[in-house]
Amino acid sequence: MFKVFVFLFLFSSTLFSHPHTFIDVYPSIKVKDGKTTEISFKWKLDEMTSSMLIYEFDQNGDGEIDSQENYYAYKNYFAVLEEVSYYTELLLDEVLQEPIVPKNFKVTIENNRVCYFFKIEGSYNVKKLSMEFGDRDFFVAMVLKPEFLNITGAKAKIDDIDRDFYFVHRLELKE
Amino acid sequence: MQLYSEFLKQLVSWQYQLNNYISSTIRSVNDENSLSASFLVLLIAFLYGVVHAAGPGHGKALVAFYFTSNKSDYKKAFKMGYMISIIHALSALVFTFGIFFILKTMFRKNFNEFSQMTMQISAVMIMLVAIYIIYHAIKDKNAKEKDETPKNKSEVAVAFSAGVVPCPGVMTIVLFCIVLGQYLLGVLAALMMSIGMGLTISIAGIISIAINKKAGGFLDSKAYILEIFGGVLIFLLGLFLLSAAF
Repeated sequence: MFKVFVFLFLFSSTLFSHPHTFIDVYPSIKVKDGKTTEISFKWKLDEMTSSMLIYEFDQNGDGEIDSQENYYAYKNYFAVLEEVSYYTELLLDEVLQEPIVPKNFKVTIENNRVCYFFKIEGSYNVKKLSMEFGDRDFFVAMVLKPEFLNITGAKAKIDDIDRDFYFVHRLELKE
Repeated sequence: MQLYSEFLKQLVSWQYQLNNYISSTIRSVNDENSLSASFLVLLIAFLYGVVHAAGPGHGKALVAFYFTSNKSDYKKAFKMGYMISIIHALSALVFTFGIFFILKTMFRKNFNEFSQMTMQISAVMIMLVAIYIIYHAIKDKNAKEKDETPKNKSEVAVAFSAGVVPCPGVMTIVLFCIVLGQYLLGVLAALMMSIGMGLTISIAGIISIAINKKAGGFLDSKAYILEIFGGVLIFLLGLFLLSAAF
């Protein structure tokens, strides 16, 4: 009986945790001589979340995001994701690196879906590099599929890793 | 645990598909305004509710604790499951329409703030329910008799404390419908989703009652210990949620 209670208690520790927003992650990575020369991402948010964000971002309602609206989206919706490391973690030899610092943030609307674009700087040895995408709170589900990858100069492998109460997609590169 | 992990992974995958499916179907209703598409939306909303509530959350743990430590029948499990899910959906509807129409701009920010506030209220209410359960377990033991009236009250209190947090899943669908001008469809989809969630939460309650019945013979004479234990666990759950809500 006690085991049942313990199980239920563990089970309940994520009482409010289950994904409500789904983000398709499109990594674009260029590799030369065993090192990354460019790492950029496109996040494509699910249509229902997008509809709320479009309502919020596209203040003039022209169906496009201008520079002012882009800044508004960055300041109010993207920069705050620093708290959750932008759901993206970089590891070198399995050692977690400093949180990523996204650059060149841009928002667009594609077929009623909000897309975030950004890149990260730095040149990494692909033999040592791996990336993990996931939300510790499990409120957001990051979705990474082989067809979302755009990688030149290296091979890629995707694994699903169970972190007890949330999942991460792990991307590993091989020369 | 491996099996549970695979189960959770599958749930996320289903939710991802249903989320895509429901948004494209709602949009097709908006474009074509067909009745069959509207019924399809409601059917998907029901399935989405079943799957959505099957993962961690939605008060299943609270229901499980409650029914594992309190004697009940299966009808009560359904009653409580549906009370939670309906309160959960109604709360989402009230907040969504309220926030959208009263505070048209910056609604997302307000949604986040209200979400946090309701989580805090819910956590405190869960702890109060726990104290209530422990108090009555001790009182019952001293009186050597069961009092059914306060039990019913505690069921409503459990349902309300678990359901008061508006369901973000329901809010998302309702907001999507509002943005597309499909107000009625939004309300109906929210109700169908709550019926689906209620089914899943009720099943969690039924499983707990079955466990309780199995252990019933042994624990009959010491039922108050189990009730106090359940109350303590519910209190700890509330405490955990309160800490998570700040």
